[in-house]
Amino acid sequence: MASRSVFRSLWRASKLHPLPTRAPRCFSNSTRLAESPTQPSNHEKTTHFGFETVPEAEKESRVAGVFSNVAASYDTMNDFMSLGIHRLWKDHFVRSLNPGSSSTVDSPGWKMLDIAGGTGDIAFRLLDHATDINNSPSSTIIISDINPSMLAEGKKRSLATSYANSPRLSFLVANAEDLNTIESNSVDLYTVAFGIRNFTNKEKALREAYRVLKPGGVFACLEFSGVTNSLFDAVYKRWSFSAIPLIGQLVAGDRASYQYLVESIEKFPKQEEFRDMIKDAGFMVPGKGWEDLTGGIAAIHKGIKPVEKP
Amino acid sequence: MALYACSKRASYLVAHLPVYDFLAPSLLQAPRASHQIRRLNVTKRCFTAAGSSGNQSTSPSQPSRTPKSGPDAASNPAPLNKPLTQAQRDFLTSALRVNQAGELAATLIYTAQTPPIVSSHPHLRPLMKHMYDQEAAHFSTFNSLMAKHRIRPTAMYPVWTLAASALGWGTAIMGREAAMACTEAVETEIGGHYNGQVRVLLEMAEQMEKDGEEIGGELRELIDTIRRIRDEELEHLDHAVENDAKQAVPYELLTGVIRAGCRGAIWVSERV
Amino acid sequence: MAIRTHLPRLRPLSKRIALPILRPYHSYDHPPPPGPFTPTESSILSAAIPHIPSHGFTHTTLSLGTKDAGYIDASTNLFPNGTFSLVHYHLYTQRLALAKHEHILSPALKEREKVPGVGWKVKALTWERLMANREIIHRWQEALAFMAQPSHMPTAISELSSLSDEIWFLSGDTSVDTSWYMKRASLSAIYAATELFMTTDKSPDFIDTREFLNRRFKDVQIVGGTMGNVAQWAGFTAHAGLNVLRSKGVRI
Repeated sequence: MASRSVFRSLWRASKLHPLPTRAPRCFSNSTRLAESPTQPSNHEKTTHFGFETVPEAEKESRVAGVFSNVAASYDTMNDFMSLGIHRLWKDHFVRSLNPGSSSTVDSPGWKMLDIAGGTGDIAFRLLDHATDINNSPSSTIIISDINPSMLAEGKKRSLATSYANSPRLSFLVANAEDLNTIESNSVDLYTVAFGIRNFTNKEKALREAYRVLKPGGVFACLEFSGVTNSLFDAVYKRWSFSAIPLIGQLVAGDRASYQYLVESIEKFPKQEEFRDMIKDAGFMVPGKGWEDLTGGIAAIHKGIKPVEKP
Repeated sequence: MALYACSKRASYLVAHLPVYDFLAPSLLQAPRASHQIRRLNVTKRCFTAAGSSGNQSTSPSQPSRTPKSGPDAASNPAPLNKPLTQAQRDFLTSALRVNQAGELAATLIYTAQTPPIVSSHPHLRPLMKHMYDQEAAHFSTFNSLMAKHRIRPTAMYPVWTLAASALGWGTAIMGREAAMACTEAVETEIGGHYNGQVRVLLEMAEQMEKDGEEIGGELRELIDTIRRIRDEELEHLDHAVENDAKQAVPYELLTGVIRAGCRGAIWVSERV
Repeated sequence: MAIRTHLPRLRPLSKRIALPILRPYHSYDHPPPPGPFTPTESSILSAAIPHIPSHGFTHTTLSLGTKDAGYIDASTNLFPNGTFSLVHYHLYTQRLALAKHEHILSPALKEREKVPGVGWKVKALTWERLMANREIIHRWQEALAFMAQPSHMPTAISELSSLSDEIWFLSGDTSVDTSWYMKRASLSAIYAATELFMTTDKSPDFIDTREFLNRRFKDVQIVGGTMGNVAQWAGFTAHAGLNVLRSKGVRI
């Protein structure tokens, strides 16, 4: 009896699209709140900010606002979003990439670029793997992020590692859609973990990735994606939209940022669609193009830049 | 095996007996069978009409060609030959597998039915031999197609062997009418089954022509072969009905059970 | 009914299965479907194969292959199965290479020599396939270890059964009844056992492996012959009993 009503409510939840919250967004660092229009004018190009539709020009600053708010508690936020599993995902992501591997002992190492990796989660893991497992002390990484607060957090954390103040680790404030300080065909590995769903123009970011990678270079993206099992999906959505903003409210005092984060996951293209976007940017995809993690809650997408045949 | 040895003996004896004109039984039983035959001809026309309406859209069939082997096909390259899609290959594989299983069952049914029927109704010997010979020819046709196209035979082969022999023997024991009702039920199912296959193959051919691909002699021959075999199966159906199939005592039950069994066997053989 | 069931079936049955299809319809008019490797993967793997004797089935071999094919070390990410792709590629290419043994498939006969039968061709082709491993046999146990992993076992088994089917087909086997299964199953078992034996064989020219193979074939012949005799005896007995009853007037 009780189980039947539980199933019915779960089934209904899977059909429902949760309504976007109408609570005021408290972006204490955002200066544009007073000016932000609720309805975009017709001649501007629009994009989605969670479930809200906003002009493209505005999305960047609103995302900046979100991440400035959560920078300090980014790990806590991720722990709640994924019940701590994000650490396992990131470990698996780095291991499957096998950075720093080489056929010769004296190879020049990999040049890596971690996009939207402000706090350094992925970057430190990549360097550790390259140094300790693949014996590649000359592999380097550039951590790039559009948000200086996140990068500051990353710099703080790097002090605890052995890479602080070494030429192997550098920081760059840049928009992934325009990496003009990075040369074309110069990067072995381009990674972006849990960042690309916040980009205003994903296609542009993919094309920039294509440009900076060497021929044969790897584009790797770890991101939330579509759960494959529909029953599990219903439970997961219920959890995301009900529990997570509530926890954000209680733990960090910022319900709106967490609401945005959950909505942005929902709006992000699912596995096949994103794989097709990667192919459209010119990459070759290995196998079917992605690997599901934990039933599809997250997925690793990879692309290889083709080599021009002489 | 030993069963075939028995039928070989039967065929030897038949060769030395006067051949009854079973191909025109209407001359012997005109009044009763006429409306039955008319009904059957209608259904037969329906089947062939369905096949031929699809045929109008395809190009006129070329003169019969011998089976093309690899070198032959290479020397006459067709334009725009794309590989067959996975769905098409799956369909062709399961279609030929089921057909072979069906013909195996048919030959075994006739082999098992012949001794009891012929011992009590000797005049049916030529008919049974004719039907058996045709089924044996179908069986060897499909056997060679399976070997040529490297298709796995059904894993239920021994099960169908036993089931078909048991079915043939059981219905023959029940009497001539029951045996004919069994034949009628099996041939109805098989006729419809072949008709469906021809329809899908013609759709496939139409699609390939629309895409500008060359269909290839192989597929054309397959369509013709299955059409011819379907027509022969329907001919058996007519013979069965003309020989009082409908007079069998538990007619509805018998034909219902056998047809359901056939459909189940077809479904299983497609997959296993 | 029967007609309706066929029309929607132009959806592939095997959509959910990621395995290479075991029993494809072999067309003579149409080209074969693309294999399990894309052209890029094939170029990298074929460049990596010559490095296997020196570096084994390891990531290093794969890296050397990517370098030789004009890619970079990071390009090893093109292979979702990692180093197992080397094993798979080796199995796949050696299986397809069996069709090239013209001296076995259509042997030039001297005067008054018998045409070799299917059995002879099967034995010859099996031996050729085993000899295709001779360059890398000292590394083959690494490959076997890969194949034994649960995620790779389905592919390995599928390749083994495809190999067995290929050998029988090229030898001219036309059986399409239950013996189809028995023949392939027995050949798969013989081949797998002999391949494993060969990894420990140090005799010159693999003479011990040859004898091992001959012994396995003989075993199968004896077993097969015995089973065939039993079946024949059972059939004859049953039929004889039936005929005796008929001669007594029982209407069966």
